[in-house]
Amino acid sequence: MTGLRLPPDAGPQAPADELAGQDGFTDPEHGAPAARGPGGPRLGVTGWLRWGWRQLTSMRTALVLLFLLAAGSVPGSVLPQEGTNPAGVDQYYASHPFVAQILGRLSLFNVFGAPWFAAIYLLLFASLLGCVLPRTLRLAGSARQPPPKAPRNLSRLPFAASYTTALAPEAALQAAAQVLSGKRFRVRAGPGWVAAEKGYLREAGNLLFHIALLGCLVSIGLGGLFGYKADRLLVAGTSFSDTVTALDEFHPGRLVSPADLQPFTVALDNFSASYVTSGPLTGQPAAFNAAIRYSATPQGPVHRYTLAVNHPLVVDGVRVFLIGHGYAPTFRVTDGTGHVVFAGAVPFIPVETSGLTSEGAIKVPDADPEQLGFVGLFLPTAVDVGGRLESAFPAPLRPMVSLISYAGNLGMNSGPPQSVYSLNTAGLHRLPIAPQALAPGQSIKLPNGLGTLTYTGYQQWISLAITYDPGQLPALTSGIAVLAGLLLSFLVRRRRVFVRAEAAPSGGTVVSLGGLTRSDAAGGFEDEFSGLAAEISAQHRPPDTGPPGPGPSGRGRSGPGPSARGPSDPGPRDPGPPPGPGPSGPGPPGRGRSGPGPPGRGPSDPGPPDPHPSDGE
Amino acid sequence: MPVNTGLADVSNDFLLAAVVIYAFAMLAFACDFAFGRKQAPAAGQVPAPALVGAARAEAAAGPGALAEVPAPPPGGAGTGSSVPAPAAGAGAAAGTGDGAAAGGRGRVSRWVAVAVALTCAGLAAHTTGVVLRGLSVHRLPWGDMYEFVTALTCVAVAFFLAVMIRYRAYYLGLFVMIAVVLVLGLAETVIYTPAGPLVPALQSYWLAIHVTAMTLATGVFFVAAVIGVTYLFVDRYARRVAAGRPAGADGILRRLPGPEALDRLAYRTVVFGFPIWTFGVMAGAIWADKAWGSYWSWDPTETWAFITWVVYACFLHARATAGWRGRRAAYIQLAGFGCVLFNVLVVSLVIPGLHSYAGLS
Amino acid sequence: MSRPLSSARLVIGAAALVLSAAACSAGATAQDTAVGNGSSFVPGSYGTTVFQPGARPQAPQVSGTTLSGGAFRLSADRGSVVVMNFWGSWCTPCREEAPVLGSLARRFAPDRVRFLGVDIRDDPASAEAFMRTYRISYPSLNDPNDQIALDFRSTAPPAGIPTTLVIDGSGQITARVIGPVSFDGLKALIMQASAERT
Repeated sequence: MTGLRLPPDAGPQAPADELAGQDGFTDPEHGAPAARGPGGPRLGVTGWLRWGWRQLTSMRTALVLLFLLAAGSVPGSVLPQEGTNPAGVDQYYASHPFVAQILGRLSLFNVFGAPWFAAIYLLLFASLLGCVLPRTLRLAGSARQPPPKAPRNLSRLPFAASYTTALAPEAALQAAAQVLSGKRFRVRAGPGWVAAEKGYLREAGNLLFHIALLGCLVSIGLGGLFGYKADRLLVAGTSFSDTVTALDEFHPGRLVSPADLQPFTVALDNFSASYVTSGPLTGQPAAFNAAIRYSATPQGPVHRYTLAVNHPLVVDGVRVFLIGHGYAPTFRVTDGTGHVVFAGAVPFIPVETSGLTSEGAIKVPDADPEQLGFVGLFLPTAVDVGGRLESAFPAPLRPMVSLISYAGNLGMNSGPPQSVYSLNTAGLHRLPIAPQALAPGQSIKLPNGLGTLTYTGYQQWISLAITYDPGQLPALTSGIAVLAGLLLSFLVRRRRVFVRAEAAPSGGTVVSLGGLTRSDAAGGFEDEFSGLAAEISAQHRPPDTGPPGPGPSGRGRSGPGPSARGPSDPGPRDPGPPPGPGPSGPGPPGRGRSGPGPPGRGPSDPGPPDPHPSDGE
Repeated sequence: MPVNTGLADVSNDFLLAAVVIYAFAMLAFACDFAFGRKQAPAAGQVPAPALVGAARAEAAAGPGALAEVPAPPPGGAGTGSSVPAPAAGAGAAAGTGDGAAAGGRGRVSRWVAVAVALTCAGLAAHTTGVVLRGLSVHRLPWGDMYEFVTALTCVAVAFFLAVMIRYRAYYLGLFVMIAVVLVLGLAETVIYTPAGPLVPALQSYWLAIHVTAMTLATGVFFVAAVIGVTYLFVDRYARRVAAGRPAGADGILRRLPGPEALDRLAYRTVVFGFPIWTFGVMAGAIWADKAWGSYWSWDPTETWAFITWVVYACFLHARATAGWRGRRAAYIQLAGFGCVLFNVLVVSLVIPGLHSYAGLS
Repeated sequence: MSRPLSSARLVIGAAALVLSAAACSAGATAQDTAVGNGSSFVPGSYGTTVFQPGARPQAPQVSGTTLSGGAFRLSADRGSVVVMNFWGSWCTPCREEAPVLGSLARRFAPDRVRFLGVDIRDDPASAEAFMRTYRISYPSLNDPNDQIALDFRSTAPPAGIPTTLVIDGSGQITARVIGPVSFDGLKALIMQASAERT
């Protein structure tokens, strides 16, 4: 297979180096030898491209790009963004014109659609792909590979143990192999040794995680191309259909045209909201419910449904959400000629939550002799507070409106479209009437025979968010795969266990065990190793007399064990020999790894889910 | 159902009691550092060249000498220079070695026993307070910022206890307790919100899933951050010792384990918390999709949760990159927790968005 | 090592294409055409679509109640050119084009060209006041459920307000204008539809 392989009896090296060449355990070098830059042979275009590619797919670049991704998202959360808060953006321009110009140029009011942000995540995913795909191919190729040969000197491994047994070497190895394959290790036997490996799923999990991230991105893209979002404010007693003329806002994906909208219809029969009436949280909403009727097609059957927050309507793959609610007072306006020129509900927008005081405007462009405009407040529970009217509670217990009247030119007969919620008073003159609060049924009589406005009552309205996202299910699936891959790569340890059995000069067989783990994020390999060693040595004990001496040798990187404890230290399940130096153990008292793990670990430091090979040190 | 204000008041009392008990636990941990008995080496101790930390190897007289140095016994006493007759440098070096962090046996000092007992008592009071709050409002007690903070500190203390016992990391006690006392104290005074029902937008079983996961993950990252800060101090101390410079009369730092051990512990903790955070963000996205129609709308809180995720991913990648291990990785991890703090404190309160459920006016 | 790398490169190239598509569409979701101008309706992208003979969609059956209460059916107008205009009294571009529609309606009345309005999101009093202001004499249908707009969804959907459709004598849609119409433009479209009738 690919990668460097040092001969098993290479000279004295640190154990990590000796085993570094074992394929699959340390990633082989990143392709061809490094392209030599200035001072070396000149690189052609291909050479530079290859160098650039290697830089892109290196771990360091990934780090930098990740950091840039995070840093780039910061302004997107702190500054108002055009997509979610266009009014805030306008406000920013108004209050900080110079700074806003600069920020706008840098696309800082639209960070997540900005080209530079796209460049960051595209580069990041290119870097990711460039590492993940070759490794996937490699994993697929090595899926059936047997473990490598056992190293000559097992005592140099970070986890090691050795003891003697009376069994013949072959029998000892066979017993060991049986134990290991019983534990679902992949076992390979050779002359005088047995090698076992387990935990291939870790790499698979790692790759699954990274590929699933890519899947998330693609799903988001799918939704962006073929999905759409729309808003609609619906007054009780009215209905609408999913067509562009009926929507307040329409944000189609790139490939969506008006003909693609699903033709459902929704009618709002009744909206009810209940509020906390006592206690310190008085006025906080307790529940919202909208009773609607809907049909999926114009001639289709009509169904009833109760729309509530967190309970959207799903019709024809489209989801309709209840986002907010408010009040729409109803008015009747009679103009100077006696005609009724306006009679309907005008949605007012809440400006504060404790009492739902709402603002709105009434425009009467077809009043004779002059166009009329009114702007003011709707107060669901109007109370007099020090001479000012305020709303004390969000329910309509004492609904009143307070309006200022204008006449003149509304500016609606030509020019750009206006907001229906605010009045452009540039061409209007304020009428000389004292502002008064109206209760239902009361009227304002306008001077100079301009007409009359009567406040006739109120309706409630709901605001709906209509979303269609075909990438939603793929995104969910990718998300689940992300989590699965992450858990796999964190929980599964790639580890190898080697057993060597040689006839001892003084009779019997010296059995040495060695263990190596590449990634031990969750910890616990030493427990596993101790357990394995105990089991294998237990297999080797009969018909031996007495317990074998657990005289561990080897230069483990251990924290200072307080006493000599062999690998066969009794775990909770192990009927092994008691701790302490065994009677027949040669060598220095052991310092095998045992006991609840201190953070000290071997040279094979736990690896994070790394798609990139470690950069050479 | 109406809110049971009686239970809510009792809950507040329990939480205040928890703060007080934690404060005493903090004192006990501090006393352990100040007065904890240095442990003599246990009988039958094995000479162990504790190899962790290249700095230490250089500081010691050499591999031969190290091989003869009986390893300092472990134990929460955080003993350091109890080794008989080493060179001063080696002694100091050994003190900051893996020793104090090691598992194995070692007697725990009286102060630590008291401190752990107090912490457990405090945790019991804390948990009772949280549970009572939940009972008083007939729902899971993490529906607004105050409840979220009390719950996450509860998770942090519980997680810390588990880590401390598993890894014998008693030295962490002082630092974690300081942080918990501060945060919980803040919660009780500044962020306090009276018990009440949830706003309709939060009335969903997804609250249990999403906010629980975020609470757990934040608690875990809290502990990781404390370990990270400790690591930085210890690392700085170790470098100064290795360079032979006077490191100040730092009684505490001398008794702490070496930087590598702390680094690994911090890494383990982050590895534990990262999948939970990932799951929490995903659950939040699913809930957002159910509630607002869009699973990702770059809402400020969502964005900062994403930023946090990316920064912790940076940390995990940094640990595998040469030149980025150690201090730099620790900084990244702390930056990640800084993002968590920013998200909880600044974004929820100051920046308007769909997540404004702090309950504060 | 080069062989797996080059095949990986191929896959990477394909994936890069997908990613670019994702990036472009991300731009689409973040910044789009009809975003909040605050006017609470979607003006749509202004433009005229002329359908060539042979590619003209058949207009659906349109029926409804006029503002004055009478019943109306589009099929009753077979044989005449019909100009349908989707409007609202609250909509500034609709008010801008209203004089044009009124005068064209009067001009083409002798040629049996029928004008029909479809009133969107309006109350009847405001709509009648609008018609009085601009002296619109042709009838308008009330469309409270947007059913009429839905009827056109597969042919020439009114993708904004105002939208004007020109339907020839055989019931086929010959043109659609999104945005306020101009006198000369609409006149030309009407004459084209009329010419092909005879």
